[in-house]
Amino acid sequence: MNDKTDLHLEDDEKHILLDHKYDNIQELDNPLPSWWKLTFYLGIIFAIFYFILYSIMGAPSLRDDFKKEWAGIEELHEKFNRLNGKYDEVKMLAIIKDGGVKKGQVVFETNCIPCHKAKGIGDIGPNLTDEYWINSKGTVDTNYPVVFNGVPDKGMPTWSQTLSNDEIYQVVSYVQTLHNTHQPGGKDPQGNKVEDEVKK
Amino acid sequence: MSSPSAVHRTGRLETYSYDDQIVRMFIVATIIWGAVAMLVGVTIAFQLATWKMNFGLQWITFGRLRPLHTNAAIFAFCGNAMFAGIYYSHQRLLKARLFNDVLSRIHFWGWQAIIVSAALTLPFGITRGKEYAELEWPITIAIAVIWVVFAVNFFGTLIRRRERHIFVAIWFYIATILTVAVLHIVNGLGLPVTIFKSYSVYAGVQDALVQWWYGHNAVAFFLTTPFLGLMYYFVPKAANRPVYSYRLSVVHFWSLVFIYIWAGPHHLLYTTLPEWVQTLGMVFSIALWAPSWGGMINGLMTLRGVWDKVRTDPVLKFMALALTFYGMATFEGPLLSIKSVNSIGHFTDWIPGHVHAGTIGWNYLLIAGILYYMVPKLWNTEIFSKKIANTQFWLATIGLALYYVSMVSAGITQSLMWRAIDVNGKLVYPNFIETVVKIVPMYWVRAFGGTFVFISFLLMTYNLFKTMNQGTIGEIEVFEAYALDDSSLEENAGHHRKLEGLPMVFAVLSLIAILVGSAIEIVPSLLSNQYITKIDAVKPYKPLELLGRDIYLREGCYLCHSQQVRPMAHEVLRYGKNSEAGEFIYDHPFQWGSKRTGPDLARIGGKYPNMWHYRHMINPRDVTPQSIMPIYKWLVEQKLDLSTLTKKLSVMKQLGVPYSDVDIASGVENAQAQAKLISADLMNQGVPKEVEDKELIALIAYLQRMGTDYGSLPVNK
Repeated sequence: MNDKTDLHLEDDEKHILLDHKYDNIQELDNPLPSWWKLTFYLGIIFAIFYFILYSIMGAPSLRDDFKKEWAGIEELHEKFNRLNGKYDEVKMLAIIKDGGVKKGQVVFETNCIPCHKAKGIGDIGPNLTDEYWINSKGTVDTNYPVVFNGVPDKGMPTWSQTLSNDEIYQVVSYVQTLHNTHQPGGKDPQGNKVEDEVKK
Repeated sequence: MSSPSAVHRTGRLETYSYDDQIVRMFIVATIIWGAVAMLVGVTIAFQLATWKMNFGLQWITFGRLRPLHTNAAIFAFCGNAMFAGIYYSHQRLLKARLFNDVLSRIHFWGWQAIIVSAALTLPFGITRGKEYAELEWPITIAIAVIWVVFAVNFFGTLIRRRERHIFVAIWFYIATILTVAVLHIVNGLGLPVTIFKSYSVYAGVQDALVQWWYGHNAVAFFLTTPFLGLMYYFVPKAANRPVYSYRLSVVHFWSLVFIYIWAGPHHLLYTTLPEWVQTLGMVFSIALWAPSWGGMINGLMTLRGVWDKVRTDPVLKFMALALTFYGMATFEGPLLSIKSVNSIGHFTDWIPGHVHAGTIGWNYLLIAGILYYMVPKLWNTEIFSKKIANTQFWLATIGLALYYVSMVSAGITQSLMWRAIDVNGKLVYPNFIETVVKIVPMYWVRAFGGTFVFISFLLMTYNLFKTMNQGTIGEIEVFEAYALDDSSLEENAGHHRKLEGLPMVFAVLSLIAILVGSAIEIVPSLLSNQYITKIDAVKPYKPLELLGRDIYLREGCYLCHSQQVRPMAHEVLRYGKNSEAGEFIYDHPFQWGSKRTGPDLARIGGKYPNMWHYRHMINPRDVTPQSIMPIYKWLVEQKLDLSTLTKKLSVMKQLGVPYSDVDIASGVENAQAQAKLISADLMNQGVPKEVEDKELIALIAYLQRMGTDYGSLPVNK
């Protein structure tokens, strides 16, 4: 085999060229770079200390951290539910005055039509344009808690987790305008027939 | 100081030649499969940008194609490249022809047959449902057999070597061959149901642990160590430079091999894996940073003094950039393993971004450099066009930059949206789709970046085939070397130097190095169930649900949906109670997933009515406008296959799922009864035609069951 090479060597490398030769590849005997060594040792030291701290000495686990975080969230929820969630006639009137129905239509179209379809004719969820209601009496005060709390067993989400309280009032006011409009193509009635009551 | 002068070799002078034909074969296969892998990659990138690119065809829908892309990129493209490079360098480093020409051919054709069978099964949904280990059991066994053929050929050559000591490249090859064998076999264990279906022997947390020990080390020992070995051969050869530091080679080889194997659990941070195992995964990943960089330093510093050549020589140019990306990816890896960073990056597009910095930046570019080195040598000519190679270089670099930047920004953007909580303790973006719509533009950028990379590959394909065409396969060269005898022993050799003269001892030691971490991390979890608190409410799947779960696997749902609610407030707000280990004990295989292109499904059960799922599968946009999910309308057209149900239940029983004999015998009846209930509910809601014997019903049954056994228990139990 031809062992002649035109190996490129810098002047400061000639004395550290090892005479191992593999298919003409040679190696230098440079020391380990000091910054590399430092990184290497620090990585190992960190690993040992971190493991001891968290898995032997009992520093807070991920689940401990979560418990703390969740307690804070629950506090916020309690506060929110204390302040909201009860139907307030005065607020509803104010919302309607402020163009609530129109705003509610936007909320409805963003969040509700996947199940109730445009104009509330119903598909996955029930028809909102007839006089049959499953979880309420079709009035704003009885619809509000259904939207706010949801009916998780039947697939109605707890909208207070998603929508603001104002948005819930708005969408409820919009739904009220659909009531008894008997839109064409509506889903068959579900729930109990509610005799016409005074609205609003 | 240089060591004592070279030994004077005596003894029998032998003649030998190299088997270069096998290298040429693997090179051609590398080029072809590389193009295929990237074509599929570009396709699925566009499918994420627009669902219409799925064309409503089940065989090419994202969930079926993504495994094809990853398997083709890793095992077909990088696999063939690895074999080409190893067979080329191994012979030359040892002054010996490959052990057996027939074994070499079996290795080649066997591997190509495996790739073809992967391409013929994955689009049909034939999968084990484990990432990067999707291929069903007959193919999994074939891989093991061919790998052993490779190993025999490799170690046989080592035994017949004429060079006493083994060069650092070969150390890496040895670690690769042994570790991949161990990983593949342990993670591949399963019980067959039919020729096309098997269930993993492990379940839930244990399956997750074994899977990510495998998955992570597939990256380590299939995409990193063999290519480091190739780097150690081809960079000094191409640069005509000595390797920078022999001592660094020794230290970084052993530390890399020993530490890498522990790092797998960093894929499972915040999951229900025991926390001490998670912590081990994290700290070893951080300790891995320096050993990984040892390879980059040795590579880049070897280029010292020849950087002017890097500017002009395509071979060196590709290698230098590959080493740079290797350094970047192996810094980012430890960074992403830190728990708090991981809580942001995990499940997002940052991870595919990171992975492609490795596979495109490191593997593809290094392979390009190696091919540009080998092809002219093996075809006795020059590179056809340096200009094309240059264009390729820049296209690939720009494409990868677009890919990486778009994915990291998409990942971080989406993650921040996921976790945003307002003053009322509510999610700021409660609708998952809002966070998707936001990053779709980034999916387009990624798809075009990927297209650039693909085009760059096509340029290389053209350039290399032109090079082959203009060259000739010359006469087979015959060399002379002394047979190995005592004259090759060095006096006063250091310990490691002596070890380099004993490859089999070397092999045993490296096997021990990888087995230590594997044993300490995995064996305790496998042998005892003490880490998993049993939850009495969690019961095995009903027969119909089990069939639905198999459809979930078949469609590759796990590639876009996770099944693991991490203990974080925003996740619990979005999805429901955080997951517990005891919930997954009947999950053969586990389906936690690693990416949330869509929302987590661990608590999907009961969240929506059956009708919602019915509409959603036929057209996701009916219920979620702007959804990017493909349509799955064939699920309402195809009849559910009940013929293997009894067998499936009894295989599950063998795996330890407590089905009674009555459960198994009445399985079909039970499934039909449950299907009737679901379809009656659907028809009640106005679904026009009879659907009770269709696949969708089984999938709905599974989805409605998921996470409910534990999820419906009162909180603060």
